[in-house]
Amino acid sequence: MSGVNLSGIVKAYGAVQVVHGIDLNVAEKEFVVLVGPSGCGKSTTLRMIAGLEEISGGEASIHGKVVNRIAPKDRDVAMVFQNYALYPHLNVADNMAFGLRIRKMPKVEIKNQISEVAEILELTEYLHRKPAELSGGQRQRVAMGRAIVRHPKVFLFDEPLSNLDAKLRTQMRAEIRRLHNRLGVTSIYVTHDQVEAMTLADRIVVMNDGNIEQVGTPMELFMNPANTFVAGFLGSPPMNQLNGVLNENGAEINGVHIKLNVEIGDNAGRNVVVGIRPEDVTLQAGADTSVLPIDLDLVEPLGSEALLHAQRDGTNLVFKADTNGSIDHLSGVKEVHVPAGRVKIFDSESGQAINL
Amino acid sequence: MSDLSENILPAAPKRTLGQRFTWLVDHFKREWQIYVMLLPVIIWFVVFLYKPMYGLQVAFKDYSIFRGVAGSPWIGFEHFQTLIYSDQFGRALKNTFMISMLSLCFGFPVPIFLALMFNEITHHVFKRTAQTIVYLPHFISTVIIAGIVITAFSPSAGIVNMVLGWFGMEPIYFLIKPEWFRPIFIGSGIWQEAGFSSIVFLAAIAGVNPSLYESAVIDGASRWQMMWKITLPSILPTIIIMLIIRIGNLLEVGFELIILLYQPATFATADVINTFIYRQGIQGAQYDLAAAAGLFNAVIAFILVMTANTIARRYSNTSLW
Repeated sequence: MSGVNLSGIVKAYGAVQVVHGIDLNVAEKEFVVLVGPSGCGKSTTLRMIAGLEEISGGEASIHGKVVNRIAPKDRDVAMVFQNYALYPHLNVADNMAFGLRIRKMPKVEIKNQISEVAEILELTEYLHRKPAELSGGQRQRVAMGRAIVRHPKVFLFDEPLSNLDAKLRTQMRAEIRRLHNRLGVTSIYVTHDQVEAMTLADRIVVMNDGNIEQVGTPMELFMNPANTFVAGFLGSPPMNQLNGVLNENGAEINGVHIKLNVEIGDNAGRNVVVGIRPEDVTLQAGADTSVLPIDLDLVEPLGSEALLHAQRDGTNLVFKADTNGSIDHLSGVKEVHVPAGRVKIFDSESGQAINL
Repeated sequence: MSDLSENILPAAPKRTLGQRFTWLVDHFKREWQIYVMLLPVIIWFVVFLYKPMYGLQVAFKDYSIFRGVAGSPWIGFEHFQTLIYSDQFGRALKNTFMISMLSLCFGFPVPIFLALMFNEITHHVFKRTAQTIVYLPHFISTVIIAGIVITAFSPSAGIVNMVLGWFGMEPIYFLIKPEWFRPIFIGSGIWQEAGFSSIVFLAAIAGVNPSLYESAVIDGASRWQMMWKITLPSILPTIIIMLIIRIGNLLEVGFELIILLYQPATFATADVINTFIYRQGIQGAQYDLAAAAGLFNAVIAFILVMTANTIARRYSNTSLW
C-alpha cells in the first residue's frame, strides 16, 4: 500500500505512554494535518514517522515498506522544523545542498536542483545569503526548499509556521498548499492551529491525549464532530456546549426548550450536551427555530460581523452576528434563535455524538 | 551607517553639560544597585591592575629602594637597551615564544577535541566519570603537579623510565636534558588544563540547536559528518574568542611550573621572560631591569591581542571588541 500507514503505533518513555496505539492511513499525494492541543502526541507521532523517535509498539510503513527499524535517512522523508533548523554557518544554497552532498549527488546535478527549487520558492536572489540575513518567511522557504530538493516520498511538517507573524502565516499557508498541489507529494503536517488545519488539509486528524479523536475532511469534522472535544477544538470561536436533557420534542436546557429535527424515541430523558455553532444562530425567529435567552456581556466588532459574548447558567457562550455596518443594534440582544437542523447533541457522559 | 539612514534618522539631541549631569544623577539614583554590584570588580581592577602601573615608571629609572619610585632619577630606555643586548634576555624571549607557540599549537586544539569527544559519549555514567578524571588535574596545586612530573620522569623510580625499561631502553634523565624540557612542560600543561578548558567548548556545544542534528540525521549525515559539518562550525565563534584570549596570554607562560621544573642545566630551553624577571627582580634585586622586561612582555602581548582581534574580525566577523 502506498502512502504512510500507522498501525497500533505506541510511544512510551519508560512507564509513561504518550501515544496509545494509533491507526492512520495517509494515501499517496494526500495532505493530512495532525492537530490537537499541546502535549497530545502529534509531534511525537510525526517524529516516529521521521525516525527521530523510536517506535515503542505497532508498525509504521512508508510506501508499503515497514520502517520501524529503518534509519531516518533511508525512509525517504524530508522534514521541515518549527525553528527551520537552518545551518547558520552555511548560505542558502549550501543549506539546500547539504542533504544532497551527504548523499554524494554530482555537483552539476546539485546545482541544477537548487536553481530549480530556488526559482519555485523565489529564493534565487538570496542563494548567497546566510540564514541570519533573511526574514522569517524567507527562512521558512529555505527550510522547505531544503526538503523539496531531496525529492522525498513524504514531506513532514512540524508546526512550520508557528514562528511567523499572523500575516506571514496566512501567506505561507497558501504557499504550502500551492506547493503541495504542484508537487503532489504525500504530506503530513502537525499544528495546534485549527485554522491552519482547516485551510491546508485534505483530511484532518484530531488528536487528544495520545489518541486520535476523529479523522475526516475539514468540513466533515466541522459539520459532524464525533465528540465534544472535536466540537470544541475545531471552529473559531468553538461550538457552544450546554448541558440538557432529551424529551419527546427535542432538548431542554434548564427550562428552555430547543427543537431538534430528529426522532428522539427511546432516548427521551437521556442527559446530553447540546452543541450550537456560534455562526448558526440568528437574531430573528425563523421557521423551525428555538429561542435561547442569553445574558449579553460583551460585543466584539470584527467588521462585517461581531462576536456576542454571553452567559447562560454559568456557561460562557459566544455567538456570531452580522453587523450591517453598526453594532448599536447588538448591544440590546436578549436572545438568539437556534435552527433545529443545526443543533448537535452529544452524550453527556462519554461526550460522543448521538446520531439519531 | 549608510548615507540613507543618516538622512532619515533624526539627529540625537545634544545635551548641555548641566543636562548631562542631571541625567547622570538620575541614572545613578535609578540604577544604583547595578553600580554597587560592579564596585568590587572596579576596586579589584584599581588595586591590583591600575595602582601597580604607577610602579611601571621604574623601568625608565635608575631605581633604588632608598630613594623610592618618585625619587629615583630617569634614565630613559637604558634598561631596554641592556635587555636587548643581554644574552639571557634574548634566550628568555626566544624560549617564551617557543613554549607559547608550541603550547598554542598543541594545547589549544586538545580541549576542543575533548569537548567534541565528550559530546559524542552517550553513556551517562561513563561520560561523567571521564569528565571528572580530566577535570581533576586542574584542581591540583602546581607544586603537586611538579612533584608528580618529577616523580614520573625520575630515572630511578619514574613510571616513564620503567616503561622504557620494558622495551630494553636505557633510563633517560629527562629533567636535566634541555631537549626534553619543552615536551614535558607542554605535555603536563595539557594534562592539567585541557579537561577544564573543554568546559567552555562543551557549553558552546550545548547551545547548538538540536534540530540541526535531527535535520542532518534525516539528510543522512553520519555522526562524524555532524561533528565536522555542524558542531565544529557552530562553536567556531567561541573557538575564535578563546583563541584571541589565548593569544593575549601567549607570553604568560605558567612560570610557577617552570620554576619548579627547570634547573641551570635546562635554562637553554626553559628560561622564559617571567623566570628571567623573577631571577633579576626578586633574587637579584634589579627591580628596574625586571620592570623593563615585564613592560616589554606586556607591550608584545598587547600587540599580539590587537593583531589577533583584527584578523579575527576581518575574516570571521567574530572578535572581542
